[in-house]
Amino acid sequence: METEGSSSPLPDIAVASLYQRNLVTRHTGRAVRLSIEGLVSELGATSLTVLDFGDVAVIDFSCADEVVAKLVLRAVDDVSAESQHFFVFRGVAQHHLDPMDSALRRRGLAAAAEGPEGEPFLIGDVEPVASRLWLAVCEAGHACLDDLAPVLGMEPGDCGRLLDRMCARRLLRRDGQAYHSLFYTFAEAERAGNGHGTAGPDAPDGAPPSERE
Amino acid sequence: MSRVIEVPDVLDHKGFEVLIRALNEVTQEGAARVLFNAKHVRWTSPYGLIGLLAAGRVARERTGFAPSIEAPDNREVRGYWERMDFWHVAPEVYDLEPVPARAHGSSDALLEITPIRSHHDVHAVVERVRERASTILLNKLHYARPSVIQFSVLLSEVCQNIIEHAEADGWVCAQTYNYRERLGRDVVQLAVMDVGIGFEGSLSAEHSRRHGERWSAGMALERALLHGESRHRDPGRGQGLQAIRRQVDRWHGELGIRSGDAMIASPTQEWGDLAHMQTGLEKFPGAQILVVMPAHVENE
Repeated sequence: METEGSSSPLPDIAVASLYQRNLVTRHTGRAVRLSIEGLVSELGATSLTVLDFGDVAVIDFSCADEVVAKLVLRAVDDVSAESQHFFVFRGVAQHHLDPMDSALRRRGLAAAAEGPEGEPFLIGDVEPVASRLWLAVCEAGHACLDDLAPVLGMEPGDCGRLLDRMCARRLLRRDGQAYHSLFYTFAEAERAGNGHGTAGPDAPDGAPPSERE
Repeated sequence: MSRVIEVPDVLDHKGFEVLIRALNEVTQEGAARVLFNAKHVRWTSPYGLIGLLAAGRVARERTGFAPSIEAPDNREVRGYWERMDFWHVAPEVYDLEPVPARAHGSSDALLEITPIRSHHDVHAVVERVRERASTILLNKLHYARPSVIQFSVLLSEVCQNIIEHAEADGWVCAQTYNYRERLGRDVVQLAVMDVGIGFEGSLSAEHSRRHGERWSAGMALERALLHGESRHRDPGRGQGLQAIRRQVDRWHGELGIRSGDAMIASPTQEWGDLAHMQTGLEKFPGAQILVVMPAHVENE
């Protein structure tokens, strides 16, 4: 059974480079997160921010909790009808995975990520069936329940609940009857001119200049 | 006249226990200068070396006087202490003239003794150790390439334990040596110490009431290391130690944490000499962390 979905405007988008080679210590993580939250607050009520981990050599567990888990937590906790904030973690390599995944799992969260070669995957606390469904949406870019349920051999009701749950977890974006991947959403928003260019959080307090690019 | 503490000739984690027993006896007698006599030391581990700083700091706090120290007679041991920058850091604790630091990278140490006072120090340590960790972990311990970053993460988390929980400064150092007697392989030993409030003190406000009279240093260590609990209610906190434990386990190494009058070890190995839990040890403030990472061998 399909549920009525509300139309959601294309989000404002931004790409944030982290300007840190070593994302270590809770103190640094807090400073980076506050900078990103400042960046997000300058975007519209609906936003999609891509955090680029391409230059991050080391991320520790404490910093992953402060940056990754708390950004996602606040986006998920914000249940107001007026605002929706999404995050995608780009350039996530094998050596970033353990701290990021562990930080998200401890809080029962998940996040959309893209590997160094652009391959999409979910990190954190996700059931395998949800992961398969999410990948199917990513592959299609956007899809309706009627298209997705048969492909995955799921009951439409179960499939719809799972898709809506992923929207609530900010892993997908719903627009009317269609479920959009965050990567497709980003491309659409870019085409529509919603981009705010590449931005970077300020270097955290005390970060040595050598850590800045 | 100074009261003399004889530093054990083998200054490792077991020697440290002997050292602090002597320290507790001597400092019970009230305010008086203390002399640490290290003349007869013939072997020192990284844990033992920063243990000497920790013991000196406690002697200073208890007596109100900076203690003195006699350098080892053994030339190799003296050379090792110099290479580990002991004499550069020691004047913060002992009654010594300042000695300039050696140029980092000029010794074979993985990480010379480095004071940890703030997150800046953790950043500096992670940055400084990368190149040497790469050489030592890949070439000497035959670990896979990702281990270099995993070691940086481990280092960052153990050092943060001081900043986040100790309410005091601490020290870190790491060195490679051949663990001939028990293992017959090279190992890296990483040691981190502080003389702050310890695990019992850190977790007390949040957890002691729940456990009543059973609450102890041993239980605090168990709650932190095995159950990931911390002084904070936030579920995101307390994952650092568990992550360290998982990583050390993957390397088939040992992790021991001493605090108060207890020491917990997990994982432990057959070749090691750490017991899963020791209680009733000599009381000592803060936390003392020992990580031993053995060289990788095929089929392990």
